[in-house]
Amino acid sequence: MAQLSVQGIDTAYDRIDVLHGVSLDVEPGRITCILGSNGSGKTTLIRSILGLTPPHAGDIVFEGASLVGQPTHRIVGRGIACIPEGRRIFPKMTVAENLAVGAYQLSDEAEVARRAAQVYELFPRLKERRDQLAGTMSGGEQAMVSVGRGLMAKPKMLIIDEPSLGLSPLYVKENFRIIRRINDMGITVLLVEQNVRQTLAIAHYGYVLSQGRMVAHGAAADLAADAEVRAAYFG
Amino acid sequence: MSLDIFSQYLINCLMLGMIYAMVAVGFTLFFGVLDIIQFSHGDVLMVGGFTALVTYAGAQALGVANPWLQLALMVLIATALTAGLGVLVARYLVLPLKNAPPLNTLLITLMMGMVLREGVRLAYPNGSNPQPFPRLLPGGVWSVGGFEARIDSTILLLVGLALITGLHLLITRSKLGLAIRAVAQDGETARIMGINFNWIVLLTFGIGSGMAALGGVMNGLYYTEINFGVGLLLGVIGFAAAILGGLGNLYGAILGGFLFAALQTVGAVVLPMLSQHIPSSYKDVFAFAVVIALIAWRPTGLIAEKSTERA
Ligand SMILES: Nc1ncnc2c1ncn2[C@@H]1O[C@H](COP(=O)(O)OP(=O)(O)O)[C@@H](O)[C@H]1O
Ligand SMILES: [Mg+2]
Repeated sequence: MAQLSVQGIDTAYDRIDVLHGVSLDVEPGRITCILGSNGSGKTTLIRSILGLTPPHAGDIVFEGASLVGQPTHRIVGRGIACIPEGRRIFPKMTVAENLAVGAYQLSDEAEVARRAAQVYELFPRLKERRDQLAGTMSGGEQAMVSVGRGLMAKPKMLIIDEPSLGLSPLYVKENFRIIRRINDMGITVLLVEQNVRQTLAIAHYGYVLSQGRMVAHGAAADLAADAEVRAAYFG
Repeated sequence: MSLDIFSQYLINCLMLGMIYAMVAVGFTLFFGVLDIIQFSHGDVLMVGGFTALVTYAGAQALGVANPWLQLALMVLIATALTAGLGVLVARYLVLPLKNAPPLNTLLITLMMGMVLREGVRLAYPNGSNPQPFPRLLPGGVWSVGGFEARIDSTILLLVGLALITGLHLLITRSKLGLAIRAVAQDGETARIMGINFNWIVLLTFGIGSGMAALGGVMNGLYYTEINFGVGLLLGVIGFAAAILGGLGNLYGAILGGFLFAALQTVGAVVLPMLSQHIPSSYKDVFAFAVVIALIAWRPTGLIAEKSTERA
């Protein structure tokens, strides 16, 4: 059974529908990706799942229970974490404090320290700079903070929205390597990307959004050859 | 100026600065989490002062005679009830207007301030006139060399210092403080991190309003009287201090409070020296004029933070 199941949702900003009957299934332990050009509704779909912009029709079910109508902090408490679009690190906090916010719902301080140590192992650079204000770091380093912060909650599912946006090719490559490692830890990944080729290379399954509708889905290998995917991006 | 006069001016200046700072931190905390100005904040302070007064009367009626016990009851009850008032203002007036134009929040809290002010004036016996506030701290003076200070003022100053230090530690070291800062820097991302946004806003209003109540009690103990309009001037000064320090910046607000008190003191001392025709009561005119000039010179406050933070 799917771990997360989005069932025919309509989502609107100010009464204008942006998503139209969108459905999607995420299998546990997999990397599922959502492809689609700018403005096709990928971020809105994530906002719907997190309860930031709840859908007004349809249902979203995580591990057997509906998320619709729940406040965001409860949804996060169910085991869903997110690395938001644009990284959104807390600029006036140190690296260590940013990580601490990521583990906000965990009260066991020793466990928080253990997870921080794991994040520092993944990103040694963050360890060197743990007391630096995150807002003063380079884009690539801020991306590390954002990813590390998302891991601090030790989520069952991690939603990642365009992690390689604005990064240099070197960091993009590193990013995909990290995402694979996160998945190897047993965390389900829902990945939104514009970088079609590299995304489909690491994903197991993919969906294609176009103008707020799901227009294609399939195994990543099949999608890579699919004409509709090419149409959604290039034509 | 002889040393004993100098010490009086200094203690008075520090005392005023402390009270202003305690009001200003509320304005700056509320602006931090919700980007709004709570214009009834000064009147919330006044309610804190009057709650302490009512508690004092109640304690006397119940036969509690020990002044320290009376004071402890006044501080506890006034802080708790006033924090509760702040939470109610946030829950029923401010949060429901979160997505409305900020002007509506401004107006509704301004009107709330009038309700509190007029409510206390009418409901408190003889409320239109200043009410005596009990002298509960030990009287007397201590002196070192020619420097002398009243014992009660010194206690108030030390307590104020402890409170502001405590608030600083709460904001910078505790988990609650971490959440308040997260909400202040980016409310939506704070929610994505699993922080209960509304809960943090309510707690912030509770903390800020509790600080204002403590400021109200300190003000009453210092002047040994309180009147229903005390929140009006203290509110404007606290707001000015918060703006001066850069809204959203805790240290800026504290600095702004002490700066305003320093300006008033300088005005009181220097103006009569410049001309016999300018009495020291022009100190407020002088202080506000300088603040206006400072804000015109540094529109984002002396310590600009919020603007760079949002960039
Ligand atoms: N906060 C918002 N208010 C109104 N419309 C929005 C908002 N955010 C996004 N939209 C609109 O919703 C559509 C989908 O946007 P988005 O979900 O951000 O797409 P993507 O993430 O795929 O680039 C776009 O047409 C965009 O203009
Ligand atoms: Mg997007």
